[in-house]
Amino acid sequence: MRGRHWLWMVLAALRSLAAAADDVAADDAAAGRPSIVAGSPSDVSVTVYRAPHRNSGSIDLGQLGGFALVSETRTVRLPVGESRLRFEGVADGIEPASAIIAGLPGILEKNREGQLLSPSALIAAAVGKPVVLVRTNAKTGKAVRLSGTILSDAEGGVAFKTAQGVEGLRCSGLAESFEFTSTELSALPTLSVMVRAAQATTATVTLSYLARGFDWAADYVATLSSDGKALELGAWVTLANGNGVGFPSARAQVVAGRVNRESGAAEPIDIGGPILAQCWPRGSTSDTPEPVYLAGASPLEGGLMDVVVTARRQMMALAAAAPMQEVAQQVVQEELGDLKLYRVPDRTTVAALQSKQVRLMDRQAIPVHSVYAADITGNEGDRFFPAMRVLRTQNDAAHHLGLPLPSGSVIVFTDRGGVSLLLHESAMRDLAVDEEVEIDLGESADVQVKALKEKDSVDSTHAQMRVEVSNARAAAIQFELRLSLNQGARVVRADHEMALKNGRPIFKLNIPAGQIATLSYQVEEAFRRSAPR
Amino acid sequence: MHARLFSIGVILGAILSSAALPAERSLSVTIYANDLALIQDRRQIEVGTGRQRIEFQDVSAQIRPETVSLTAPDISIVEQNFDYDLLTPAKLMEKAVGQDITIVRVNPASGAETREQARVLATNGGVVLKIGQRIEVLRDDGLPVRVIFDKVPDNLRARPTLSVTVDSSRAGARPATLSYLTPGLGWRADYVALFNEADAKIDVQGWVTLTNSSGTSYDNAQTLLVAGSPTQAGGGMGFGAVPGGVRRPMPRPQRPTLQEAGTESGSREQLGDFYLYPIAERTSIANLQTKQVSFLDVHGVPAEHGYEFYNGWLGTADAPQSAKTVYSFSTSAHAGLGDQLPAGVLRFYLRDKRGDPQFIGESRIDHTPMGSTLALATGDAFDVKVHAVVDKRTRRGEFEWQTDMRYDLTNASPKLVVVKVLQSGLWGDSRVSAESQKSVRRSAETVEWPVTVPANGKASLTATFVTRN
Repeated sequence: MRGRHWLWMVLAALRSLAAAADDVAADDAAAGRPSIVAGSPSDVSVTVYRAPHRNSGSIDLGQLGGFALVSETRTVRLPVGESRLRFEGVADGIEPASAIIAGLPGILEKNREGQLLSPSALIAAAVGKPVVLVRTNAKTGKAVRLSGTILSDAEGGVAFKTAQGVEGLRCSGLAESFEFTSTELSALPTLSVMVRAAQATTATVTLSYLARGFDWAADYVATLSSDGKALELGAWVTLANGNGVGFPSARAQVVAGRVNRESGAAEPIDIGGPILAQCWPRGSTSDTPEPVYLAGASPLEGGLMDVVVTARRQMMALAAAAPMQEVAQQVVQEELGDLKLYRVPDRTTVAALQSKQVRLMDRQAIPVHSVYAADITGNEGDRFFPAMRVLRTQNDAAHHLGLPLPSGSVIVFTDRGGVSLLLHESAMRDLAVDEEVEIDLGESADVQVKALKEKDSVDSTHAQMRVEVSNARAAAIQFELRLSLNQGARVVRADHEMALKNGRPIFKLNIPAGQIATLSYQVEEAFRRSAPR
Repeated sequence: MHARLFSIGVILGAILSSAALPAERSLSVTIYANDLALIQDRRQIEVGTGRQRIEFQDVSAQIRPETVSLTAPDISIVEQNFDYDLLTPAKLMEKAVGQDITIVRVNPASGAETREQARVLATNGGVVLKIGQRIEVLRDDGLPVRVIFDKVPDNLRARPTLSVTVDSSRAGARPATLSYLTPGLGWRADYVALFNEADAKIDVQGWVTLTNSSGTSYDNAQTLLVAGSPTQAGGGMGFGAVPGGVRRPMPRPQRPTLQEAGTESGSREQLGDFYLYPIAERTSIANLQTKQVSFLDVHGVPAEHGYEFYNGWLGTADAPQSAKTVYSFSTSAHAGLGDQLPAGVLRFYLRDKRGDPQFIGESRIDHTPMGSTLALATGDAFDVKVHAVVDKRTRRGEFEWQTDMRYDLTNASPKLVVVKVLQSGLWGDSRVSAESQKSVRRSAETVEWPVTVPANGKASLTATFVTRN
């Protein structure tokens, strides 16, 4: 779960390393091909899509399973002939195969280098080449420099050769390290295109690509009036960027609806690792030391935790304070094929490792009614269980709604003497206009249900059921009893009126305050139990 | 042992492989779609007379050694070896058992060094040394001790190494061809489709995406891509030295995408039943690189935007389910893309109100012949939903059931839509005994209805199934 984040963090850390030379620079130089770095983006657009597998609920900052379409416009000056154009500072989660470059004539090929600069990559690249070994006396601080050659970095152990002979790195217990003079590796996944221009031109190039490590959801805050008959519904678009790259002054959009993603072949990438200086067996007569790590990126994990916690706390605070807030801007909805696109009106900065909230909607005085419900299979046994309470309304103009409601989480508050109190938190799926809206309020201990099998026939084909529902609320309640029957079974008689909803028998009862309602029905099964067939 | 015999050959090989004579080296790489490549490496080699060993260090790290063949004039192959005993400090110590090494004790305070000769007795769990008449455990007290080995044993190497022992009838340089199969190189196609809603046309660009995780770079290689997956018998004994270098089967689409298989032939070069996509210019494929080269650019192909709802069994859904958005188009020469499509992923884009292309979903396709009709699902329609409900299930006899199905279709969009409702899971002898509109029986398991739903409206479809099994 933390694995992916670890990757982003490592990449983010690597970015801060000194700028590295182009790994293909030598090749280009040989071919007389200039390498050009595209200028920084003049216009950036980020469209965030939610995780395709998540149909409801809020986002998880620790595991951002969604993605984004990033489009950026840059100006480049191209010389005559072949040149390599490099785009630096693209999102770390870039899916290179999805990159589209518009406005550039004569693209020969697009490349993404996956071998990144890391301690182990430095060693791997230096195998067989001369390096300088530095030995520092821990006591005096005096450093001795020795010229040598790295012979091997196989299986995490490093063997090197100096004029004195062959030795293993960090096997002696001395402070040992290598000095490298240059590297041809780059710190970040860099996209480059090879172009051939007929004449020198200045082009405005738009680079679009899909990048992982984003997500968004709608976070609804519902406030139920004290009489339980009206609802105030507000919502935030919460979007998050888990990449180590930020997008300043960007046009930001989010897209609602599930889009199809193929699991796809992973692009080969080696983000590198620490040097694992493995030595010969080092058991002693007293202890067994662990292998020594020379370098690692793990301390960054602590920093990430802070980010998550802060963001969570902030999100809760915003949610709780939502009804009182003045909202200056709301996202604007438009159609995008069969999906819904929400546009943030003003330019905004989508920073690295940030979650951001923009107002989605605010609706007042939505008429709702409370329904208590229970599902009965007939095998409940002799015990009481609490009924579920749901708030029900219709997503149409008559109910002060009538707009697409993208999936997310719903937090329900109620007002108690001017103070908002939390009632329940649940998830919501995508709801189109005119669909029934149900907001879960959780179990209600005041409404208890017991379903007893009173009588069973010898072959279990006929069962007599009695259901008791007790109402300890101060007011009458609407109650719905839904039956889950076996294949082909049917209710043959009942002492209350029965209806069908979604193909299942349903009884609707009105139970006055402080009363117990009793309901009896008889079920006929299609199969005899343990009867020879 | 033969390593010592041919030590001259080793030195010679090392010179050959490190110098690599780049000007005279010519690489040709043929990449198949299922993570397999054929490498043909032509270069000048310097060979003496008689038996000698030639080492090749710059071959794929995942080479399948059993597929290696070396051909050169006036030489015959004695044997081919693939050595993967790797040089590590632990191996150095292990191979030094019974031999003498030099240990240097370093005074941690002053840095003063004391040299001693020691014989390695054992390396089991810890290193046991004999120094003079004493027996000691190396660094038992934790104080710094350097261990210096005089030389590296001949068969330890930094990387797995291919060596060929040859018998040459004459001395001198000559051209040689080394060819072998290796996993770790693969390619697929990536398509970009921009759908224009106004005139229902798509622009499609196709890119071949080749990836290299073989652990080796191929410089200035002549590259040929083969759209086909040759059968590979068994796993071979390739050395998977690179993380992620696993042999992958080709992924298949999640739902059938080919509506009609095409029957047209194109002008692309073929190899057996495989299509060939040569890359026009020599290119360098770096290790862990993803490279894309364009192969298709078609504009204004008619495409159809539709909806599909698939119910896998005669059951009730808890809540309405979104229908899938489906785009269909042809790959024929007169009214379509006019090309064979190698397997890959097709990404759909649509322009938003500002005119910027936005991503609306993707779908995988198989190798598709020319003249085919493709129907690709890009995702769920937000506004078009179907609620499948079993109204009644009755037992009509010992093995006979009747199921009354109802499908409630809703359309919250301001335009009329036609949803293709597919009911599958019709096992045994199933027939539709009554229905509210005429169905098409696609197969024993599946029936299909095209249901029209008015703008901002609803439609209902009912069907009664009688099943005997």
